[in-house]
Amino acid sequence: MSTLHEGSGPAEPGGPVRAPQNVAGGVVLMALAALALWLTRDLDQGTLNSMGPAMLPRWLAIAVGLSGLALLAFAFIKHGEALERWNLRGPVFVIGGILAFALTIRPFSMGGLTTPGLGMLFAGPLAIIIGGYATPEARLRDLVILSLSLTPFCMILFGDLLNLPIPVFPQALTGLFPSNWSQKEVLRATAAIMAVAAVIVFLATRGRRGPVDVTDHSGRI
Amino acid sequence: MGDFFSNLSLGFGVALTLQNLGLAFLGCLVGTLIGVLPGVGPIATIAMLLPITFGLDPTGALIMLAGIYYGAQYGGSTTAILVNIPGEATSVVTALDGHQMARQGRAGVALGIAAIGSFFAGTVATLVIAALGAPLTKLALIFGPTEYFSLMVMGLVFAVVLARGSILKAIAMILVGVLLSTVGTDLETGEERMTFGLPFLADGIDFAVLAMGIFGIAEIMRNLDHTETRDVVRQAIGRLLPNRDDFKQSYKPVLRGTFIGAILGILPGNGAVLGPFASYTLEKKIAKDPRRFGRGAIEGVAGPESANNAGAQTSFIPLLTLGIPPNAVMALMVGAMTIHGIIPGPQVMTKNPTLFWGMIASMWVGNLMLLVINLPLVGMWVRLLKVPYRLLFPAILMFCCIGIYSINSLPTDVMFIAFFGLVGYMLIKFGFEPAPMLLGFVLGRLMEENLRRALIISRGSLETFIERPVSAGLLAVAAILLVIALLPSIRKGRDEVFTE
Repeated sequence: MSTLHEGSGPAEPGGPVRAPQNVAGGVVLMALAALALWLTRDLDQGTLNSMGPAMLPRWLAIAVGLSGLALLAFAFIKHGEALERWNLRGPVFVIGGILAFALTIRPFSMGGLTTPGLGMLFAGPLAIIIGGYATPEARLRDLVILSLSLTPFCMILFGDLLNLPIPVFPQALTGLFPSNWSQKEVLRATAAIMAVAAVIVFLATRGRRGPVDVTDHSGRI
Repeated sequence: MGDFFSNLSLGFGVALTLQNLGLAFLGCLVGTLIGVLPGVGPIATIAMLLPITFGLDPTGALIMLAGIYYGAQYGGSTTAILVNIPGEATSVVTALDGHQMARQGRAGVALGIAAIGSFFAGTVATLVIAALGAPLTKLALIFGPTEYFSLMVMGLVFAVVLARGSILKAIAMILVGVLLSTVGTDLETGEERMTFGLPFLADGIDFAVLAMGIFGIAEIMRNLDHTETRDVVRQAIGRLLPNRDDFKQSYKPVLRGTFIGAILGILPGNGAVLGPFASYTLEKKIAKDPRRFGRGAIEGVAGPESANNAGAQTSFIPLLTLGIPPNAVMALMVGAMTIHGIIPGPQVMTKNPTLFWGMIASMWVGNLMLLVINLPLVGMWVRLLKVPYRLLFPAILMFCCIGIYSINSLPTDVMFIAFFGLVGYMLIKFGFEPAPMLLGFVLGRLMEENLRRALIISRGSLETFIERPVSAGLLAVAAILLVIALLPSIRKGRDEVFTE
């Protein structure tokens, strides 16, 4: 697993920096302020009597920048907290899961590329399985069962009962069912098939648990 | 006084219809269900569940949302007592003595007194809202843009003072929040600001997206950093109903907590957060034997829980009467109201009395529901709390994605919760508290609008803010608060309150 050390770590900060966390915070604030100032550079500030579009953002950006500067300055005077360790695995997989959902829920075009719209049927399991690997304790079997049972639940809840305009399955799927079936019937049938699949996977892989794992006692009594 | 009763009876006429009763029940149930999950606070809960209210009529939707809010609050307390993981700032205090009680096999009593105290506080707070609603709405009519602007400044200063940790960082977060709110098309001139030319940013950043990213996704990433050591109580839950001694010990704290919470909740700038802390500190101060606190004192649960619920409810007052959301939860309520075509503010009460009073009456109904739902269902919540986090968070992740997608049907919204999730995670790592930023974001647009109008009226003179007496008074309060908070001796006390 990849861990990243930034700054001087938890040991007593050497050199003039006494609060590494605040240095980072101050720099980020100043960068943000600079970005806002750069983005509003072409906009008119107007006068107090008739404020232009840039008036508030510009002064706010200056104030943010000053706070950043103050934070940075204090970091050399007062002792503060060290930077925590960064764990890349969590954010990477969580963001990956969300992006997978966003790209597959409906056709999304980026430049010349268009992703296929697969609906909740595929987007849900993708989010669960990719996102699920954010923890080192992830187990594929559990994630598969979870996605096979939660997805049909959400399909029925959001697509059928609440009638929300959310794509549930790709259009190609309707071809697999008798042509006189309505969208709702296809939805229910698909959900039922997934739920059954969840039960089958659960029963079929029950015996095989692999080595005894030590992380599982977390919440059990 | 006659008005007071006729209004309330109008409200109960609306709230007690079968449909609205059902919605309040459902709201409380699903709110508790999601809110009880460790690491999911009320904001994430409401944002996740917002879509299920879309198909309802406005009154029904708001009743259900209010139910979800109370449910989420109570769910947070349940988690705090049973697992010692407070879902949000206000239940931190409950975890102190509540979890100790649970370890002594008195989890049931802790949950019971929390529910009963909350119910009592909720009843009082409902009456307070009904009584103060009408006069405060009249007050709103004398508020011009100048006064509104100053009031919001005061609210933000409050949020700074109440934030945990460094005051400088809290100020920076507020400023960043207001800055973020200026992204999008300028209402006056129609020019695009800081949109990078991206069309989906032209309407500005969606509040639900920001809130979900910062409070939902970032929270998941943060929880994943720590290896899970969930301390679900192993002892029996025990009986739920407190006995006579318990009642005798806790009825006074409940009364005091309700009083403190109700008053602090009205303040703009998330005063409700302070309620439980203030109540706990007070109970500890006046207790005969303060050493019992932190070791399972029932007063330490009864007082703060009552304060919490009273504050949660009276924080509706600034929203319903002045149209100013005092905290992030209320800001989500604004979002929900606007989706249904209602602009919160003094006009809601006059133009839409059934909605206004119906919602207030349903607050009481919601509190009663919580009492009815929670006591028998405690066993189910305990079982839910034992689901390991590695299975919980992928499910939360998918619910967040579906929830945010169904608000606008935009895949870009889903991508943005990932982005803001990362931003929120970085903020936490750099020691910034995200809550003030969200409040700044919420008030930002209203502030700019009112600042602009005030300056047009005064022909560009900033002195208008100190020339008008009400505005000057509000700004003076803000300035005094800020100075007090910066005084070294008070600062020490403030840190103590928050670290206790």
